Amino acid sequence: MADVAQPVGILKQIGLIAGLRWRMLHNNLRRKQNRLDLLGLIIGGVLAGALVLGVCFVLFEGARGFVYSGNTTWLSLIFWAIFAWWQLSPIVVAGFGVSFDFRKLLRFPMSFGTFYIIALAYGLADFSGLAAVCWLVSVVIGAISAQISLLFPMVAVGLLFVLFNVTLERLLGSWLERWLAQRRSRELFFAGFILLMLGLQLLGPLMNRFGNSVGPWLMRALPYFAYFPASLAGKSVGAASAGNYREFMLAAGGIACYALFFGSLLWLRFAAQYRGEELSESQAPEKTVRKTVRRETAEGTLGLMSPQIAAVIRKEFRYLLRNGFAAMVLLIPPILVFALISQSSLLQFMGSKGLSPELFFPSFVAYIVLILMAPAYNSFAYENTGVQTYFTAPLQFRDVFLGKNFVQVCLIVTELTLCIAAFCYRVGAPSAPIFLATLAAIVFTVVGQLSIANWSSLSFPRKLAFGQVHGQRQSRMAVLIAFAAQILLFGISSLVLGLGRWTGDRWLPAKVFALLAAAAVGGYVAALDALTSYAEKKKETLIEALCR
Amino acid sequence: MTDLAIVTEKLTRRFGALTAVDNVDLRVTAGQFFGFLGPNGAGKSTTIKMLTGLLAPTSGRMQLLGMDFSSHTLAVKRQIGVVPEGMGLFERLTGAEYLNFVGRMYGLDHATTLQRTEELLEFMQLADRPKSMIADYSHGMQKKLALAAAVIHGPRILFLDEPFEGVDALAAGALKALLGRMTARGATIFLTSHVLEIVERLCSHVGIIHQGRLVAQGSIQELRAGIAGEEGTKTTLEQIFLSIVGQNGAERSQIEELSWLT
Ligand SMILES: Nc1ncnc2c1ncn2[C@@H]1O[C@H](COP(=O)(O)OP(=O)(O)O)[C@@H](O)[C@H]1O
Ligand SMILES: [Mg+2]
Repeated sequence: MADVAQPVGILKQIGLIAGLRWRMLHNNLRRKQNRLDLLGLIIGGVLAGALVLGVCFVLFEGARGFVYSGNTTWLSLIFWAIFAWWQLSPIVVAGFGVSFDFRKLLRFPMSFGTFYIIALAYGLADFSGLAAVCWLVSVVIGAISAQISLLFPMVAVGLLFVLFNVTLERLLGSWLERWLAQRRSRELFFAGFILLMLGLQLLGPLMNRFGNSVGPWLMRALPYFAYFPASLAGKSVGAASAGNYREFMLAAGGIACYALFFGSLLWLRFAAQYRGEELSESQAPEKTVRKTVRRETAEGTLGLMSPQIAAVIRKEFRYLLRNGFAAMVLLIPPILVFALISQSSLLQFMGSKGLSPELFFPSFVAYIVLILMAPAYNSFAYENTGVQTYFTAPLQFRDVFLGKNFVQVCLIVTELTLCIAAFCYRVGAPSAPIFLATLAAIVFTVVGQLSIANWSSLSFPRKLAFGQVHGQRQSRMAVLIAFAAQILLFGISSLVLGLGRWTGDRWLPAKVFALLAAAAVGGYVAALDALTSYAEKKKETLIEALCR
Repeated sequence: MTDLAIVTEKLTRRFGALTAVDNVDLRVTAGQFFGFLGPNGAGKSTTIKMLTGLLAPTSGRMQLLGMDFSSHTLAVKRQIGVVPEGMGLFERLTGAEYLNFVGRMYGLDHATTLQRTEELLEFMQLADRPKSMIADYSHGMQKKLALAAAVIHGPRILFLDEPFEGVDALAAGALKALLGRMTARGATIFLTSHVLEIVERLCSHVGIIHQGRLVAQGSIQELRAGIAGEEGTKTTLEQIFLSIVGQNGAERSQIEELSWLT
């Protein structure tokens, strides 16, 4: 065979894939339904750009200042901040990345080297990665502008730091994905979560008793932080600035070792994927067991509802429990809250600044509502072709929303109850007017958001991959609507709270919120029928978006 | 009296400039095993989506079991079952959970749903992996499960979009047995396929669609009689299919051009 395909160079293939990405984006925007998404893209882009640029400026000035004042090693602080952002933000703001399963590339004659580089590059191609790189660049420029001789060391350290962060982030992401994909470990995770909640409760009293000994212990641990890459980065630049090149090489070499270490672990993982192993989500088929179809136990309380709603509720709960990653995101807020309120020093600090529980209570409740409501704005994301069932089955679409919203509300009520109980136990209950006002405000903001979120789910659906940390691109319009709705509702709420302070009528907020809550519930019920006919209108876009 | 199970009048669906289904007038009598045949892209799936409420027609009317679809949507949906184009499964449920879900969505009571779920899983030979999620099923198993879900409420009309695609011969046998049993009890089956052989073997009646237009409709015998011209030569459905659809057979000769295919 004469002219069978020639081996293709690595650069050529990478170029081809970059071109492919571009075409996908381009074609995507050409579709009519995605025009609104484009608007979302632009608005979201402007907001994100402002954030990135703002931080760039701060970091630029910071780095410049550190170098000018001779405290070059203080750059470590900035490196630590960037490191924390890079590793943590994908979990918290997952949803900005690109959706492209690079495993699909395996069918092409592609060398492992190319595969590895492309897979790594995908770690850079999401929002948190790009932002971090921008910030690093501004740090580098800031430092150089203060001392031009730092040009080479800063660039070298910056590159090494990028390499280290990308490899680590990809590695953590793929481990997490795989780990949460397994039923056993998912259960372990939930158990660990509950233990952690309890443990954090004990942490406060423990700190109180042994707090004095913890401080020095922490001080003793501090030097060890010097051996982490972020500190090493600061140290090496500091050494270079002082002209100590041996020290610089040592520290930079340290970062390189880290990058190499994580890079080779990642190498092993990608090698397995390259061989064709499916490392995420799907489990090995379990052993054949005959005749153990578990009979579903009695109907329980769900029996009181219409069978359709009950069916949707059951399905939603199952999906929630099986979607390791989504479930994890839902568990983060209470962990944070528990961690916060168990720190007695923080409470003392707040007390000294005149921040009473009166203020703290509503705001932490608002935070939890904020996070937990976010998925509701694109609530069909995980349904895939199953969404067709909602249209072929003889039911009013209203029932689907009732079921989904019920689960959402259950989740929020559970988490809020836990957190409020912990709050009252640790910090003390706020006064009755504030407490009741907050409860009514919860009803108002949650129910108010549900109507908007239901509308948004129908209007801007986007398919999300199940249990996947990376490569998820949220529906941008849905994200924006969520932002807008939350700003609106929480704005109204703060206004009402402020009104109470201003008029001096302590019970006023509670009364106003009770009215607002009643209005929200009324609006929700009224909207259900409108949504049912709206779903009929939107079914084609919905089905197309999810079945593709 | 012959009840008409499916009647469409000038059913039309456009996607922008493209008319995917063009003034289709279908007549399917209750109890028929109707095969809807046509090449890829002819408009079969689009038709079935309209008949099952997944897609709104641009114009035209549909009557199912004597009820107007647009004014009696829920009543109609209660009586029909469907395996839609992408099978419409909830992939993160187990087979049993999914069947339970669908049964309840169609308003069956708890006990009935449980019993039928078990029987269907047994019948489809899916009962031995009770903990597997549907995502981990093979393609053929998913097809069987989708069919099980389509019949769990005992529908009077069953819509199947390419039900045998990717199903092995063994499983196909079981499916055919099930379908045969259903028609014997008076259910109507509306099946699409681009494979002539399947339709010819299974169906009593056929409609052929080409570029959105219904070009022929009738019982297999009728269609054969209609075409058979020269002194009683038996015309197979294949010849009909080709004579209607394969006129642009000129494309065939291009195969010769791809000479570099070893
Ligand atoms: N959602 C859609 N948007 C645009 N065109 C579509 C859509 N769905 C189907 N079509 C077009 O309609 C025609 C018929 O498609 P379909 O009914 O799926 O064919 P088939 O007979 O193979 O099932 C095809 O040309 C297809 O490209
Ligand atoms: Mg089709």
